[in-house]
Amino acid sequence: MDERSLPDANLPPFEGGRSLLLGGAAAGAAGLLLTLIGGFIAPKAALYSYLIAFDYWLGLSLGALALVMAHNVAGARWNVVIRRLGETIAAAVPLFIVLFVPLLLGARYVWIWIDPPQELAKETLRLLQYKKPYLNFNFFLARAVIYFVVWSALALLLRAWSVRQDESGEALLTRRQRKLSAPGLVLLILTATFASFDWLMSLQPAWFSTIFGLYVFTGGFVGSLALLCLIVTGLRSGDSALGKIISADHQHNLGKLLLAFVCFWAYMAFSQYMLIWAGNLPDEVTWIVARSRGVWRPVGILILLGHFLVPFFLLLSRDLKRSRQGLAAVAAWMLVIHYIDLYWIVMPASSLDGLGLHWTHLTAFIGVGGASVAAAVFLLRGVRPLPVRDPYLEDSLRYVQP
Amino acid sequence: MKRYVLGEFGEPEDCVEALRKLHEAGVQGLDAYSPYPLHGSDEALELPRSKVPLVALTGGVFGALGGYVMQAWMNGVDFAINVGNRPPHGFWTNIPITFESGVLLSVLSIFFSAIFYFFALPRPYHPVFESEQFRTASLDAFWVSIETEEEEPVADLEEKLRSTGARRVHTVVESA
Repeated sequence: MDERSLPDANLPPFEGGRSLLLGGAAAGAAGLLLTLIGGFIAPKAALYSYLIAFDYWLGLSLGALALVMAHNVAGARWNVVIRRLGETIAAAVPLFIVLFVPLLLGARYVWIWIDPPQELAKETLRLLQYKKPYLNFNFFLARAVIYFVVWSALALLLRAWSVRQDESGEALLTRRQRKLSAPGLVLLILTATFASFDWLMSLQPAWFSTIFGLYVFTGGFVGSLALLCLIVTGLRSGDSALGKIISADHQHNLGKLLLAFVCFWAYMAFSQYMLIWAGNLPDEVTWIVARSRGVWRPVGILILLGHFLVPFFLLLSRDLKRSRQGLAAVAAWMLVIHYIDLYWIVMPASSLDGLGLHWTHLTAFIGVGGASVAAAVFLLRGVRPLPVRDPYLEDSLRYVQP
Repeated sequence: MKRYVLGEFGEPEDCVEALRKLHEAGVQGLDAYSPYPLHGSDEALELPRSKVPLVALTGGVFGALGGYVMQAWMNGVDFAINVGNRPPHGFWTNIPITFESGVLLSVLSIFFSAIFYFFALPRPYHPVFESEQFRTASLDAFWVSIETEEEEPVADLEEKLRSTGARRVHTVVESA
């Protein structure tokens, strides 16, 4: 019996990515500095831009964390060759503790409930008074601390155990990752839900939607799948050693997950929209009304088409999911439309004119993005680019599409 | 009368390899029998892409359209009821049923097309069942079968199967 020859997966520690690390760090520093300058000129516009960029890149990290944990819990084997990429993206989370500080400093420009202006309607002021036990700055800060502690602990522990296994090869570490991931997923979904309530939903503090947390989180999850698709197709097109190990079958699986979660995102968005639309209650419709009138109407339609309908039909194609250029194009587009989706969630709450376009949107995006890319590349350098002694590595190398 | 030249292989890789060699040698009427899906056998035989996704998509599209039209006609035209002054034809409230009827018809078309078309059921009998050895195809062995109408090539085909490494070769003739 002739054994099908498997690629040699015992790759040395990753030493490349130097230009990406330096470029990311430089772009990050420049972007953040320019956004800071923008913050002195137009505090509100700059802080709203920064909030979108912050939630965008943080969402990608948390999405990767959820994917790694879901695979650990399910005992997935196919994903072992790409797991280190997900662990690395997730482990960039602690960076966002530092990046959260500007939002705390400028909190009163962003969240109206911190210092409610007296010209608000009497009813709104009364409602904010009623919500005060939850929506006050000290408790807000305490909750943020809890979120970051939970996320950082999960991401760093999972990555540390996985990296340790590269040298020791202990199967016990795989078991430990699985055991942490099960409660970790519950904690992650709860903290991410409350974080989206605190940072995004409370931009319009009179409005509430219980599915909002999952809607925002799923958007980030789709984004992180798209990011992984982009990295994997890029690696496979280049001549890196890892790119030769990741097969079209692994890429196909990521494409299938992207399709599934594009649908799941649409399910969340639709569930929120349809119930509010059918209920037609004054305190619920305000959020939708603000986002479906005037300049925001075409943006909403663009999101419906670009975040669901078009990618859904494109991703149905098996050939597209197995093609490097095809999947890369759809994944890149998903990363763009995810930003537009967050923009549409955040900006109508700002009461800035029109679409609220401001040059700090670009600088904040590049600033936070550059810093997080640099952090992720920094974490990947010096460790193996895949878990070389994972007990399921061979199953992953052998994986073919059913 | 149809004849089936059967060859048994102990390992899945050998079976796929034999399929590939025989197909490259231009042998017609090749088929494979295996206790579980054989990776690579479709590629070895250069079979066309499966039509199941197309059936599923067609069923899904018709189900979604049908579901939507049914609701739009019943709620909006045939029996419009005023509920809290909402529009009788509400696009968004029709979507869940549209989605569900799309999924339902998609799944049903896969199921029934698979049973009656792709598997050609009901089919209580197939000549290869005549062979007692062939029972291992549902246990632990992998079989290649070559279908042929005439008698002359049988000996040659048996020889070809042996040369690709079949551990048992056997021919069944369709009983009249």
